[in-house]
Amino acid sequence: MIDAKFYTADGFTDTLPGICAFKKKTEKELEKLYRLHGYRQIETPGIEYLDIYSRPGFVPEQNLYKMTDQKGRLLALRYDGTIPAARYAAGIKDFDPASLPLRLCYIENMFRFADSGGGKQNEFTQAGVELMGADGADADAEVIALAIKSALSAGIKDLQISVGQVRLYDGIAKQLGLNDSDKDAIRNAISSRDTVTIEKTCDQLGLNADQKELLLMLPDAQGTYDIIDAFRAKVTEKEALDALDNLKDILDALDEQGFLKYVSVDSGLLGGSVDYYTGVIFKGYTYEVGFPIISGGRYDNTVAVFGRQMGCVGFSLSLTLTLTALLRQGVSMDETPCDVVIGFKPGFRGKAYEEAQKLREEGLAVILDTTGKSKDELNEYAVNQGIVRALYVEGE
Amino acid sequence: MLTIALSKGRLAEKAIMLLENAGYDCTAAKDESRKLILEDEKAGLRFIMAKPADVPTYVEYGAADLGFVGKDTLLEEGRDLYEVADLGFGKCRMCVAGPVDLKDGKLDLIPNKRIATKYPNITRAYFEGVKKESVEIIKLNGSIELAPLIGLADCIVDIVESGRTLKENGLDVIETVADISARVVVNRVSMKMKSSEIKPMVEKIKEQVALL
Repeated sequence: MIDAKFYTADGFTDTLPGICAFKKKTEKELEKLYRLHGYRQIETPGIEYLDIYSRPGFVPEQNLYKMTDQKGRLLALRYDGTIPAARYAAGIKDFDPASLPLRLCYIENMFRFADSGGGKQNEFTQAGVELMGADGADADAEVIALAIKSALSAGIKDLQISVGQVRLYDGIAKQLGLNDSDKDAIRNAISSRDTVTIEKTCDQLGLNADQKELLLMLPDAQGTYDIIDAFRAKVTEKEALDALDNLKDILDALDEQGFLKYVSVDSGLLGGSVDYYTGVIFKGYTYEVGFPIISGGRYDNTVAVFGRQMGCVGFSLSLTLTLTALLRQGVSMDETPCDVVIGFKPGFRGKAYEEAQKLREEGLAVILDTTGKSKDELNEYAVNQGIVRALYVEGE
Repeated sequence: MLTIALSKGRLAEKAIMLLENAGYDCTAAKDESRKLILEDEKAGLRFIMAKPADVPTYVEYGAADLGFVGKDTLLEEGRDLYEVADLGFGKCRMCVAGPVDLKDGKLDLIPNKRIATKYPNITRAYFEGVKKESVEIIKLNGSIELAPLIGLADCIVDIVESGRTLKENGLDVIETVADISARVVVNRVSMKMKSSEIKPMVEKIKEQVALL
């Protein structure tokens, strides 16, 4: 006989009062922010056919929450915002190319088997935007700027955005004539900043000192324009040069908005478990949480998987991680139960209703005592509960 | 303030020596007490003493900014970390070992092998991923050499330093899975948010390693 479970399932947790209010307030501010930038909010289903996520390069199948419908078809809980948005964009029936780009935003809960060890949340809230049917650095910069504004609007003060370009490495790999398996091995080493493996692989491949130096710059280089110039002096492949131009244009556009102080170029950022990124890629970091709070990039081939070619760029901000960071950074999310508590002498209930309604119309949170407290008891209760004002109705 | 995860033992001693040679005051870390957190505010360092297998977890979650840990643990735990330096010490090999008569390709002839190991993830990745074969893995916690001797498993996957324990039990190395040594790992966020502290430290550690 299994005991009834009075606890939450592994990887899931309650959002407590106070934190919940802070979260909802933040969500409202983000919705407003996106609307002010011309993004339209959508809600995609909580459950999709497994098929849309399990395409090669999308989501590792073991990370999806799976179930079946009555006909035995495989379904998955919502894993991210981008892939459902891509499915939606590819399937729009009265599609008008002249209406592009499409600006979509969402705030939804995502479900992931993230970590076999437990501890990471398997359900968390993401806010994000997708700018679809737009190529070029202006589009990239618009989305990065919006990511920065999102974090700032949520209350994050110490923010670091790292920007990379996956085509820079692609171009360099081409320039050095790496085959696919060597390219992948070095990509993984760059992603984990493992210079030892990069050096070893270079030696095995018989690359010369210059070539080795170029590959070793990738995991290490951090800065802004200086990094772009350093690479420009060494790369010859057009794809890599285009990637550098793209990065420079993005930095220029962010600089014009005063956001350059948050941004650094990180040439070692090459995507990870999801590898649908095809151009710019970026992550956002703050203190007190060990994982990036923002993740985004350009994905030009994803919508095409569902049947319509569209260059896209987007990001998502983990609200759950952001709130964790803010709490650890000392932001208070305490909330008093209400602003005013009203009690009444027997016979004055109607008057008490009237008073409560008046105060609520002024925007105050009012509770009416339902336990028959005396005036003294009501005052004591208010003090104990941290309610600023107690009102006892005992006459007209 | 940087938080450094160490595991008590030889690796920690060597790591501390390396840091001291690199110019960091590690007096706090040499405290012989049973305290788990050793902090030196003046030096800006805080050391936490964890189980070796837990060092990657502390670093991945950002509870520690960086850690010193063996490559065997990193391979087994498969955590999402930056692996920034090879310390060159604690060198050994992750090997498939077994009775001497399984050498020279004979191991491959056994179908559906049973393999005993402390490292189930490394074993699975090697046999399924590299050798493309199905195996049955038996997780043990120590004295792995016993398993093939007593008939619990056909062979084992374990760390081999000198190979003496194997030899004394009539076993030998059959294949090498990976070369192991001590590594420095860094949390992905710390690398950005505290790069002005971490990058020089990593550089100085590398300089010291080159001198060894």
